[in-house]
Amino acid sequence: MLLLLLVLALAIVAGSTFGTATISWRDVLAGDVTARTVMIDIRLPRVVLAALIGAALASAGVTFQTLLRNPLADPFILGVSGGAACGAAVTTALGFARIPGVVSIVAFAGACGATFAVFLLARRREYTDPTRLLLSGLVLNALFSAIILIAYALAPATDLTMALRWMMGTLFGATWSDVALLLGFVLASFAVLVAIAGDLRMFAFGEDDAKSRGVDVERVKLIGFAASSIVTGAAVAVSGIIGFVGLLVPHLVRLIWRRDFRVLLPLSALGGAILLVLADLASRVALSTSELPVGAFTAILGVPFFLSLLRRSR
Amino acid sequence: MLDIRGVSYSYDGVEAVRNVSASVGAAQLVGLTGPNGSGKSTLLKLLARVFAPSTGTIAFEGRSIREWPPKEYAKRVAYLPQDPDPTFPMRAVDVVVSGRAPFLGRFEWEKDSDYDEAARALALCDAADLADRYLDEMSGGERKRVFLARVLAARPKLILLDEPLSSLDISHVQQFSNLLRDIVSRTEATVIYATHELNWAAAYCDRMLVMQKGALALDAPPSDLMRPDVVRELFGFDASVVEGWLVPRV
Repeated sequence: MLLLLLVLALAIVAGSTFGTATISWRDVLAGDVTARTVMIDIRLPRVVLAALIGAALASAGVTFQTLLRNPLADPFILGVSGGAACGAAVTTALGFARIPGVVSIVAFAGACGATFAVFLLARRREYTDPTRLLLSGLVLNALFSAIILIAYALAPATDLTMALRWMMGTLFGATWSDVALLLGFVLASFAVLVAIAGDLRMFAFGEDDAKSRGVDVERVKLIGFAASSIVTGAAVAVSGIIGFVGLLVPHLVRLIWRRDFRVLLPLSALGGAILLVLADLASRVALSTSELPVGAFTAILGVPFFLSLLRRSR
Repeated sequence: MLDIRGVSYSYDGVEAVRNVSASVGAAQLVGLTGPNGSGKSTLLKLLARVFAPSTGTIAFEGRSIREWPPKEYAKRVAYLPQDPDPTFPMRAVDVVVSGRAPFLGRFEWEKDSDYDEAARALALCDAADLADRYLDEMSGGERKRVFLARVLAARPKLILLDEPLSSLDISHVQQFSNLLRDIVSRTEATVIYATHELNWAAAYCDRMLVMQKGALALDAPPSDLMRPDVVRELFGFDASVVEGWLVPRV
């Protein structure tokens, strides 16, 4: 845990030191005003936002994997991304995308609405079946994809680039108010997840077993899903859809530390933060002329690391 | 200790358990048997509070199990589902110590005393040497012992096991049956286990409960069950009884 905190601190320093403009912390400390502006108002909020989004997605991912007892679950599994993207796409098609903040708000509403719908679809007689939950999410995501395609076909051509950037996930133009907003969501959801962590880890042997151990399974499920979906929705609203972090960081962490959910949750959050800060750095400096999608770099950085760990484990 | 009164349970319009009544005292080894789909697992789940009865009441130590706070009940009654499988690899000792969960507060971690209990339970199940091994690299028999240790880690008074003998070879069936007998005599707990191993259950149990189409068809000492006419009626199985063991008529 301490090790990961240290790595995260180093990653944040590195993330804020390098960029298209050659400015370093030394210039800032020397009193350079431009350097200060670039550092404090542009780079730092972006790096901190990357860390928060990584933490949000990875902790949602590890929660979904635990709750659904499914190693393939990710933060987007319950239609969160589909709902958010659908909201964003429809907003774009209607030509509202240029009003600041609208896409984020609609995306957030779409994410929460989709999760809620999936939950309602999967619920029968006060019991929510994990398999039905997964299937409902999958099917709704397919429906959302169709709506997104239609919306983009009808959208004004000038707005398409922006919409595409959002779909690919971007941290461009991050501000301190984004950071403050997301920080609130991340802290709140993390507190909730920590409070139910002891119950959640009992899902490892199935819901019947957890119930017989005195766990209020349906309540924990509802709280866990709500907290992780809301924080995912908030992350998606701020940055668009950044894949891979939520699915693979928990597995990465599990390959190193084979522990229960109470340990995996904070470790995954830290791991997600580190991976996204580094991926964002790579996406900014890989080409000096333009930015590449950060979601591509989470995979480019994460996959080799993951595969090497997988080969070394039994 | 356990009083089951007119308990029924139905889901999707199917009555899986119908009007079951029985009383079970302390320090007994009880075999729960019956054809596939006769309601054994459902009855165990009702006793473990996984399901709540549609009608009827279950009382444990004189108090309706609905009124027991869930964690308090879980400290006294431990249930082992059929073939539990953790989603991700786990060490045996972590599996066993998770059986102490009902004793922990919300933000509390397992203490040394909980690990002592886990070690004791593993030793009781002859599985002390498995503590640091991972479940996914164990044989079926080893896994069963680890999960039994998990159940024992809470020092329960009532132990409910769903088919603990399934998929064990014959020497492990014997070993495990001995283990159950041992646990009853050493801890004075009552063990109710579902099984299809009629011969083994009859040889080891104090008492047999036989389910048929959701109802309790027989509640008797093993000697009353191990009779050709009774077995034919309850299981549709044509057998002779030789020295207390069922032998099929070929």
